[in-house]
Amino acid sequence: MNFDYSPKEKAFLEEIGAIVSQYASQAGSRVEKPLALILKKLAATPYLRLGIEPVDGMEGPQSLMAAAQKFAAAYPSLYLSVEMSTRVFGGALSRFGSATQKEKFLTPLLKGELVGAMALSESSMNVENDALATTGTVDGDKVLVSGVKSFVINGPIANVIAVAGAYEGGTGIFFVPADAPGLTIGEPLGTLGFEGALISAVSLENCPVDKNFVIGPLAHKEAMDALKLMENQVLVGAALGAMSAAFEAAKKHAKEHKSGGRPIIAYQEVAFKLAEMLTMVQTCELLAQRACWLLKNNDNQALEVFLCAKVMCGECAEKVASGALQILSGSGFTAPNPTERAYRNAKFVQIAGVSTEIARVKIGDMELGYGK
Amino acid sequence: MDFSFTKEQLMFKEEVIRFAKKEIVPRVAEHELACTFDFEAFRKMGEFGILGLHFPEELGGQGADVITTVLAGEALGEAGVDGGLTLAYGAHTFLCADTLFRHGTDAQRKKYIPKLASGQWIGCMGLTEPGAGSDVASMKTEAVKKGDTYVLNGSKIFITNGPIADVAVVYAKTDPSQQHAGISAFVVEKGTPGFSSGEPLKKMGVHTSQTSELFFNDCTIPAQNLLGQEGMGFQMAMETVEWDRSALLAPFIGSGSYLLKKCVRYAKERVQFGRPIGHFQATKHKIADIKIMLEAGRSLVYRIAWCKDSGKPLNHLEAAVAKLFAGDWTLQPMNDAMLIFGGYGYCHEYDVERCFRDGRLAPIGGGTSDIQKMIISRLM
Ligand SMILES: Cc1cc2nc3c(=O)[nH]c(=O)nc-3n(C[C@H](O)[C@H](O)[C@H](O)COP(=O)(O)OP(=O)(O)OC[C@H]3O[C@@H](n4cnc5c(N)ncnc54)[C@H](O)[C@@H]3O)c2cc1C
Ligand SMILES: Cc1cc2nc3c(=O)[nH]c(=O)nc-3n(C[C@H](O)[C@H](O)[C@H](O)COP(=O)(O)OP(=O)(O)OC[C@H]3O[C@@H](n4cnc5c(N)ncnc54)[C@H](O)[C@@H]3O)c2cc1C
Repeated sequence: MNFDYSPKEKAFLEEIGAIVSQYASQAGSRVEKPLALILKKLAATPYLRLGIEPVDGMEGPQSLMAAAQKFAAAYPSLYLSVEMSTRVFGGALSRFGSATQKEKFLTPLLKGELVGAMALSESSMNVENDALATTGTVDGDKVLVSGVKSFVINGPIANVIAVAGAYEGGTGIFFVPADAPGLTIGEPLGTLGFEGALISAVSLENCPVDKNFVIGPLAHKEAMDALKLMENQVLVGAALGAMSAAFEAAKKHAKEHKSGGRPIIAYQEVAFKLAEMLTMVQTCELLAQRACWLLKNNDNQALEVFLCAKVMCGECAEKVASGALQILSGSGFTAPNPTERAYRNAKFVQIAGVSTEIARVKIGDMELGYGK
Repeated sequence: MDFSFTKEQLMFKEEVIRFAKKEIVPRVAEHELACTFDFEAFRKMGEFGILGLHFPEELGGQGADVITTVLAGEALGEAGVDGGLTLAYGAHTFLCADTLFRHGTDAQRKKYIPKLASGQWIGCMGLTEPGAGSDVASMKTEAVKKGDTYVLNGSKIFITNGPIADVAVVYAKTDPSQQHAGISAFVVEKGTPGFSSGEPLKKMGVHTSQTSELFFNDCTIPAQNLLGQEGMGFQMAMETVEWDRSALLAPFIGSGSYLLKKCVRYAKERVQFGRPIGHFQATKHKIADIKIMLEAGRSLVYRIAWCKDSGKPLNHLEAAVAKLFAGDWTLQPMNDAMLIFGGYGYCHEYDVERCFRDGRLAPIGGGTSDIQKMIISRLM
């Protein structure tokens, strides 16, 4: 057992902290401008490669989770945009892609020169992974892709969109370039949270994709579980970031802001709320680390413990942010600021990936030995 | 970070589970209903080596590391040993024996540790008083030095193993003009004139542990029964906090696993509306919540044990976080477990209400949840 980060990890975390803090003041703005800049900076560190390929002296998903928390706390929308591109789009390539596909997309991605999106979910989700309505049909050396994906992060800015759909009796992932004929990208959607990220609907009508740039057919459950797990990792990082941003803001305020001649942390109603919040932050951090550790070791509990982390972190993020808003009171309610942003973003963590409801049902099924 | 246990640690945990299921669990219900202490189980725990796991072999211990010790506590809970017996074990081994081991003289260690590690003697620790619970420093029990003796006067309350203990570590003021710095620790043996205990208190849970008052009426003990130096008592009591937040919390975590297994089995067997209740999402939700709390709580407890094994000074903030989480966040899942069993859960037979009642002590004993919040907020 060891509950410390290694010296190398600590140095890396400091480096990431320094990079992301330069962007924190823009956290309310849209990501297209800072995205290219930060990708270049991150490419010069191990960050983008973590969880995608082995990095010497780093603990893969564990080191990544710790860094993700810092990034997501500083600029949540930018974090989400980078992660959906790197860890989900890139993760799919790294896990299932051919050498040609990796060369074409993953190499520039890890250099910070390409932005990807993953169009996976359709109009609704379910406990058992329903068959996808999007389809890929072989047509000579092309595959024609048709379907609609309602919410795609990076849709409007991605160079390439990975689209998941039914393919040859299994599931395929089709790499669709942004300028492909038949591809329509919707207008950026207005959202409750992560308002700086560019999210849109994506529809495809007989969109031709070179067969070399199609993954699959994969077994549907295996593919969905793997992709959802990648998404869940990103969302757990987002939750930890929201929690620490909100907690730090509330702690600072409670020590500085005075009422009745004393800093408000002197009052138990405030101090004990902060203590409960910090307990949630620390508990969630450890749970997320343990889930990542299981993942790193290919432990067969990883999927279930990640679902546990997803539920716990998503719900605690909302509670911590809500507590922080109480403590900040007027100065928290007058937007924009990191705490109200964290509060809004927390809701997304509970909805996206595997929703809190579906996650609980899945955990229950796993414990009961139900499900396939 | 590395969350792995060694093969030896895991094998030992399995051994403890087997031992407990065979030697202790079959008698839990009988003692729990009668509110009696299971002396035989305690003696067997001594024979097996659990009572003195972390003490050196030459003193009758097993020389185990802290993580192994914590795993053993978790194993007891996981096997279905009741919270009363694990509390008695905790008070005996960690609050009493460990304090004697750390702060006693060589002669005191040789005298007490082998007897306590084997279970031949039972130990207790008296800190809390009727007027001094959370506010330890306001204790009124006094120890006045007279020649080569100390004379103790005062009383203690809620003392686990109080009525059955052969030896007690007792905290008393040697300098009533001081707060924490006026507190000293003493060892007092059963049968010492002027020392007595009250009747076992009737409690909501942890029934098999015997809890009582301790009375000191001109109780005269040799001066060498002072542990360490005068004025060091509070510090000694705080040192036991490391154990309190790891080894004493571990059985609660273990009993969470015990409950989870029971709930899963029951949910698959119990049929309502034509299907096992496990097929209803509401049941899955409850089972998931028990699992989530277990996964979340376990690492907090092991972090404290790891800290102790690696010789790091106790991080009081992290210790309080572990205690607060284990106390407050496990109540709802325990309630859920009872609900899964419906009316049967409210009855004694299925053991879930017992877990619920035992678990209710977690946010109270060893420093209430409010006190943990106070510590956390002061240190943050
Ligand atoms: C802003 C935004 C960005 C997104 N970005 C992406 C992206 O980049 N890529 C991507 O692939 N996807 C993305 N998604 C999709 C997301 O991951 C969800 O899968 C999607 O929102 C779920 O569909 P829905 O909203 O229609 O909810 P529904 O599936 O209709 O669910 C509605 C409610 O019912 C519950 N529910 C549904 N079925 C069950 C059941 N069987 N048992 C119990 N409860 C159930 C749900 O938990 C939820 O509370 C994004 C979504 C949003 C809002
Ligand atoms: C079964 C059992 C076994 C025990 N075993 C032992 C033992 O072996 N040895 C031993 O010494 N003690 C033992 N105790 C005592 C235990 O440690 C105390 O009960 C506990 O510390 C609380 O003290 P109290 O009961 O006097 O409550 P009080 O201190 O009177 O607290 C009452 C309430 O006020 C709150 N409160 C108090 N102060 C504050 C504050 N400053 N701010 C906010 N809220 C506050 C508390 O959180 C609580 O909710 C045991 C108790 C029980 C129930």
